[in-house]
Amino acid sequence: MASIGNQAGPQMIGAVGEGPPTEVVRLGTAKGNWFTRVGWSHLVGILALAFSLFPIVFVVSAALNPVGTLSSSSLIPSNVGFDNFGSILSGSFPRWFLNSLIIGVLSAALSMFISACAAYAFSRFRFVGRRPGLLGILLIQLFPQFLAIVALYLIFTEVTQLWPAIGLNSIWGLLLLYLGGALGVNTWLMKGFFDTIPRDLDESAKVDGATHAQIFFGIILPLVRPILAVTGLLGFIGAVNEFLIASVFLTDDSVKTAAVGLYGLLADEQAKNARFGLFAAGAVILAIPTVALFQFLQRYIVGGLTAGAVKG
Amino acid sequence: MAEVVLEKVNKQYDNGFHAVHDLDLDIADGEFLVLVGPSGCGKTTALRMVAGLEDITTGTLRIGGRVVNTLSSRDRDIAMVFQSYALYPHMTVADNIGYGLKLRRMDKSDIDKRVRKAADMLELGPLLDRKPKELSGGQRQRVAMGRAIVREPQVFLMDEPLSNLDAKLRVQMRAEIAQIQRELKTTTLYVTHDQTEAMTMGDRIALMKAGVLQQVGVPQQLYDHPNNIFVAGFIGSPPMNLATARLNRAGQGFELSLGSAVLSLPDTVLAERPALAAYAGREVAVGIRAEDMEDAALARDSSAQGRLRAKVTLTEALGSEIVAHFAIDAPKVVTSDTKELEKDAHVDGLLAAHQAINTFVASFAPRSRVRPGDEIEIVVDRERLHFFDPVTGVAVRS
Ligand SMILES: Nc1ncnc2c1ncn2[C@@H]1O[C@H](COP(=O)(O)OP(=O)(O)OP(=O)(O)O)[C@@H](O)[C@H]1O
Ligand SMILES: [Mg+2]
Repeated sequence: MASIGNQAGPQMIGAVGEGPPTEVVRLGTAKGNWFTRVGWSHLVGILALAFSLFPIVFVVSAALNPVGTLSSSSLIPSNVGFDNFGSILSGSFPRWFLNSLIIGVLSAALSMFISACAAYAFSRFRFVGRRPGLLGILLIQLFPQFLAIVALYLIFTEVTQLWPAIGLNSIWGLLLLYLGGALGVNTWLMKGFFDTIPRDLDESAKVDGATHAQIFFGIILPLVRPILAVTGLLGFIGAVNEFLIASVFLTDDSVKTAAVGLYGLLADEQAKNARFGLFAAGAVILAIPTVALFQFLQRYIVGGLTAGAVKG
Repeated sequence: MAEVVLEKVNKQYDNGFHAVHDLDLDIADGEFLVLVGPSGCGKTTALRMVAGLEDITTGTLRIGGRVVNTLSSRDRDIAMVFQSYALYPHMTVADNIGYGLKLRRMDKSDIDKRVRKAADMLELGPLLDRKPKELSGGQRQRVAMGRAIVREPQVFLMDEPLSNLDAKLRVQMRAEIAQIQRELKTTTLYVTHDQTEAMTMGDRIALMKAGVLQQVGVPQQLYDHPNNIFVAGFIGSPPMNLATARLNRAGQGFELSLGSAVLSLPDTVLAERPALAAYAGREVAVGIRAEDMEDAALARDSSAQGRLRAKVTLTEALGSEIVAHFAIDAPKVVTSDTKELEKDAHVDGLLAAHQAINTFVASFAPRSRVRPGDEIEIVVDRERLHFFDPVTGVAVRS
């Protein structure tokens, strides 16, 4: 916003070079005053910012409020202290946080890779069942995962008896579930991006002597980095924030993800008020890896969200 | 070093389109063969079949005596230059050129050596660390060439490698590619739709029309002895002038009524083409190259035997010659070949061929003083007339 403001003000541009200065052009003298031309967009921006910042400010201030009750929370904390952080880090939270990270990182990385393989096949090969496959993926995605929760629960009850390691109450079981869930969207997203990479490149590499695997890893993957970053980030955020299925699957304290665990803090009515500071502190800590990852991937993501649209 | 042999090669695409019909081609070891033809005639398809990027529906393809129909591209020992160059955007020029060698697990120092050698040959030395997007079109084209020659393959395949360059650069690269090929003596199949490229670069030319091979031969042979009207009209710039004429007996010999003009034919014309006698009293398609006509005012031999009278509509003084356009009153030749040629000319934006009047284009010596609107006499070199069947378009010879 600052940069827009700078450009908006009237500026003087004098003639450069030899000879008498010609007419001086004065910018910012177009019709209408400053507000009707650019000011209103600042106003809209400020309103939107306030709207989206409000919950964040509230949670941060609740986390810093040493009294730590919901009723004592306010937008501007009257008292600032790190007591909530100290006490949440001494409980089960570190374990939950670790579980969330494991699930987030693995499901993001694995689903990214599997989707990339699928997208490569859908984009580059012509095989029987290609169209039905693509449509099928799309169709399945239309149903919320939530609908399947009963079926999933039943399936995993069975699985738990056979292989407890990937059954209920295991983060590995949940990981499997997340992998399947993210596959569809990611495959579609990636296929669209893969389609913009000219096939000449594949063919050129093929003539150069590359196998399909070498083309995939050596030529295609480096060129689709933006979309990999986008799907990776979305996968990570999705897995870390997912609550519904995780809460059904993970009931033991030691396997809970941060989202499930934090919710558990507020489970009963009395505790809700008393532990709100703890909850807020946990939420703030949980946001750190996501923000960090976003920062790290930012330069790819900006390209990734727009790159597919226009072929450069 | 290998010869490439195509025997009755056919390509039918999955949608049923039959793009290449019974293609027979024999490219000798070290030869530069140009496959030329109008847009959509199946040149790229044929090339891609040789490259292994497209399945061969029926027929046999041999490279170096080995049947390679089912061999994948990487095992055919070929290199291809794509029209789009298809450089790998994320690799430097050096990596682009060396990629094929790297895939073959060659020593890093050997790769460097060969990349450097290829780069020197193409004057790419200072650009080796750049990415393709930091190169000009001509430089990209060189990188694409470098990628092909560094592998030292048995066969080069090139698909219109110059079509993305501007006219001047094209002329320069044309010469360079031809020279590199001569130096390396690598068998080359070069695809283009530009007849000038075909004439200037190829040891031999193979001309295709609608998936069917029309004629193969050295450039001059296609120019002087076209098999049919299509070859006659495609090779040469300006294209051969064509008109429908009537062949009549005149005493011992023959004469040709070309509109209102009558050209008596020398005996040698018939001696060379015995089959022509069968057209006596019938129509025949006559072809005259631009350089086989001369302004009568300049002609030494002033016999009135082989002259056309016409009104000049347009002149183009090129310094070394004057190109004169004039309408003649003999009807146009209309066969499937001329229709195909017109379609192609359309693509190139040359609409002249489309008009109802039959316009001839002649090349006069620069001393000629013709101006648009002049009524002039034109001397035709009757020994160098071309005759075609007016229905099938096939050349009338023996
Ligand atoms: N994958 C395909 N499926 C069906 N038909 C195709 C396919 N590729 C090409 N064709 C058709 O085959 C014919 C020959 O195509 P090809 O690309 O070989 O032409 P070309 O001679 O290279 O033309 P140009 O000079 O325009 O490149 C065209 O009519 C085209 O429409
Ligand atoms: Mg082509």
